[in-house]
Amino acid sequence: MKSIEAAIKVYDLTKRYPNILAVDRMSFEVYRGEFFGFLGPNGAGKTTTINMLTGVTKATSGNAFILGHEVTKEPVKAKEHIGVVPDASSVYDEMTAWDNINFSAKLHSVSREKRASRAKELLELFGLYDRRNDRVGTFSRGMKKRLMIAATLVHEPEILFLDEPTTGLDVQSSRQVRGLVKELNRKGTTVFLTTHYIEEADQLCQRIAIIARGKIIIADTPEKLKTMVQAEQIVEVSFDRTEDAVSKLKHLSHVRDVVTAGDKLRLYVEDPSETLPLIFDFAKENHLKVISINTLKPTLEDAFVKLTGLRPEIMAIEKEQNNLTRG
Amino acid sequence: MAKAWIEDVKRVVYIAEKDVKIYFFKGPNLTFGLLLPVVLFLAFSIGRTVDLAFAIPGLVAMAAFFGAGAIQAVSLPLERRTGTFNTLLTAPISLFAIILGKALAGFFYGVILSLAYIVIMMPFSPLPNLPLFFVGILFSSFVFSAFGLLLSAPFRDIPEAMPPATVVRITMVFLCGVFIPIWSMPISLQAVAYSLPLTYSVDALRQAMSGLINIQMFLFNLGAQILYSIIFLVAATKILERTIK
Repeated sequence: MKSIEAAIKVYDLTKRYPNILAVDRMSFEVYRGEFFGFLGPNGAGKTTTINMLTGVTKATSGNAFILGHEVTKEPVKAKEHIGVVPDASSVYDEMTAWDNINFSAKLHSVSREKRASRAKELLELFGLYDRRNDRVGTFSRGMKKRLMIAATLVHEPEILFLDEPTTGLDVQSSRQVRGLVKELNRKGTTVFLTTHYIEEADQLCQRIAIIARGKIIIADTPEKLKTMVQAEQIVEVSFDRTEDAVSKLKHLSHVRDVVTAGDKLRLYVEDPSETLPLIFDFAKENHLKVISINTLKPTLEDAFVKLTGLRPEIMAIEKEQNNLTRG
Repeated sequence: MAKAWIEDVKRVVYIAEKDVKIYFFKGPNLTFGLLLPVVLFLAFSIGRTVDLAFAIPGLVAMAAFFGAGAIQAVSLPLERRTGTFNTLLTAPISLFAIILGKALAGFFYGVILSLAYIVIMMPFSPLPNLPLFFVGILFSSFVFSAFGLLLSAPFRDIPEAMPPATVVRITMVFLCGVFIPIWSMPISLQAVAYSLPLTYSVDALRQAMSGLINIQMFLFNLGAQILYSIIFLVAATKILERTIK
């Protein structure tokens, strides 16, 4: 159950690099037991914020508290309560899965008696027990990510930081990781998640902060964010061909914007009942066949687009680049 | 307070243990630690008359010098590039303690390589004062491990870290009395030699080797190495602190 007490408090947190203001006077709170998400494109300041909260980098100004311990003044005490699953690898390829978990346990002062039982329990939970004596360098990306989470949980942290936990994972591994994290939160762990997957944030988070260019644009529950774009109506249509359709549809009356979503086109309109006949007329004039047509409720993606002015495709492109870079 | 301190010491040992497991048998470490001293020694001594009592301490000091520093030349930049260094940064341990743990791993490596050289050399030349020779190796290995950390602290990748570190190390070998006695150098180079830690290591080992121990000089050499170790560890921590700002 969520308690109103804050697990993380952040005031005017700022990170300035020589050529860029990565995080700009950010303030927010994460409550105990909450599943809190940071949603934004790459370069928005998500990882920098996590890095400042977890001791990987220092803030230029501002304060952050982890369960009452100021991160810059009592870093060791603050870090006793946290577990961090970073975007990059946090496990050693040269060591076995078992040794990695044990090393993490030792670093976090898990007693000798508990170490072996915790390692076994976690490796079994994450489906890695059979591979416990294999070098991590031989693991797939999904297995490594699961091991990273397992190693992070060995000391039962009260707050779990997850930086883009499913980026680069296949569908099955992503689903597995999401399920495991959701279960941890259900058992009481406070989760701070960063993601650029809008759906992931929508599925998992109780509250989401949408961030762009180092600033929190808005923080609220996914449902409340969606109601902010309720006035906007969407008609989703797919034709047998889409060439030139986007630019032509934009000129239809009552259509405010047209966005491509896979093989479909989303028309942001004032009143769907006025637009639907126009779409059929458009199809007829252009010799297009309507494959499907629906009116949609606004999604978190719509809220994101409206609030940030960014296209979700930008996040998709960055994701692909990210994955390619990582090989 | 005492409990927290004990936990910190334990974590230092765990980090050293982890580095030993991962880096002791990495290719570059073995090349630098085992082969480079031999190559340099042969390059300098082939065709000359070699006084073993003069040469062996230099060779062992080089083994400690290249061996102890070799792990840091790999571990610190590699872990920073792959991101695993952040595992240590997010753990409840100070940056200085992390550095100390890494220094400890290099220290063990330096000691083991030096001892390997002693075992090989023993049939050729007796060691009149083995315990003091061993003490000299311990202090040398630690200061060189700390020096290795200082050299690699500014870098985030092995190819960046290796060239400057190698240049500095090889230059030091020729300045610190390993091959050429310091007294035979020009005064300006002697001043440089006495500002470098390898000089004190070679001098301490040479005293132990000769059996004519001037205990005050021997202790002075050890004291200088302790001082250098502290300076190098603090400086490496400060450099890393700056890079994580």
